[in-house]
Amino acid sequence: MTVVRTALPLTLGCLISMVTLARPVSYAGGWTVIEESDRQSSSALAHYTPSPTMSLGFKTEVNRDSDFALYSVHPTFLAKRWFGADYQGNLYFHGGIGVASGINGNPQSDQMAIYGGVMADWETRSLLVGYRNRYLEAGHHANQFMQVFRAGFAPYEGDSGDLHTWMILEIDHRTSEPDSVTATPLVRFFKGPLLVEAGYNLTVNQPLFNFTYRF
Amino acid sequence: MKLLMKTIVMTTALCFCLPSAAQPQHDNANHATHDMHDHEEANSSHAANSGRGASDGPVLTRTEDIESALADGGEPIVADVLGVVCDFCALAMNKIFSKREEVAAIYVDLDTKALNLVLVPGASMNDQTITDLAVQAGYRIAEVRRGDAALGGAS
Repeated sequence: MTVVRTALPLTLGCLISMVTLARPVSYAGGWTVIEESDRQSSSALAHYTPSPTMSLGFKTEVNRDSDFALYSVHPTFLAKRWFGADYQGNLYFHGGIGVASGINGNPQSDQMAIYGGVMADWETRSLLVGYRNRYLEAGHHANQFMQVFRAGFAPYEGDSGDLHTWMILEIDHRTSEPDSVTATPLVRFFKGPLLVEAGYNLTVNQPLFNFTYRF
Repeated sequence: MKLLMKTIVMTTALCFCLPSAAQPQHDNANHATHDMHDHEEANSSHAANSGRGASDGPVLTRTEDIESALADGGEPIVADVLGVVCDFCALAMNKIFSKREEVAAIYVDLDTKALNLVLVPGASMNDQTITDLAVQAGYRIAEVRRGDAALGGAS
């Protein structure tokens, strides 16, 4: 049973990695740097987009509650994009495989880590809703499920190059946390290639800060 | 057993990645014509709802760069784009189209949801190329207008 438990994710993870690494790079792509910091963890992801349907990156994540760091290869696949004159909707699958290591005096040994989940969003120039989940299996470091729902609005509609402002409410559910469901109001500023989000978790009194830079 | 169940759920989720990686690219690569047909239908519906004819969409947005390129004699093109709702959308279109040597000036207007291009004098770019480049940027073209139609005159 242990062999199956270890081998199955490893095999699938390696397969996915091989599939993504074997994809041809036949067009000009973009790079994106994403930082996210919430009540549980802080992470940095740098990814390259070789096609409009996928990106491949490297992610580092520090889980402050469980004292481990996760280093992983992180592919994201755009499964479906819905287009309209006034809206855009997206369905993504994301995953990763890597190593979880103890930090801050955590003596536990390194463990293979694997995770995956779904992301979906729908957005107009003044309204947005979004959902994301992830299940993480990192041996004795963590077995975590999280899901986040967002809804927001823009008080005005900016044009290209303008400063765009969004007011967003984030509700998250984390099975590994004592307060499993929390609420975080946040504000998003968006201008050209830079997106910054700042908020405050009202349930556990923790700040949230995210930024994305695309080039 | 609990861990095994979690592992199964985990791997099932990851399995979705495999078909999802291939299918959208297949759609993009082989169904450009079909996509264009869909775009035309979407645009016709939008045009009917707004009381506009199918060919009298937004006209060229005149920025300083676009005025300059027009003065040089380049061909104006306005392409209605589906799904452009944010600055990242505009950035993607700018990055992809700006790399083309045919393009003298570009502006993505979120208000009119249009890609505004002026070509280098003597250069040309057909509708299919514009559609393919938009797909590379992650978006779709609904309709392309050129010349007088792009400037608001009779086509």
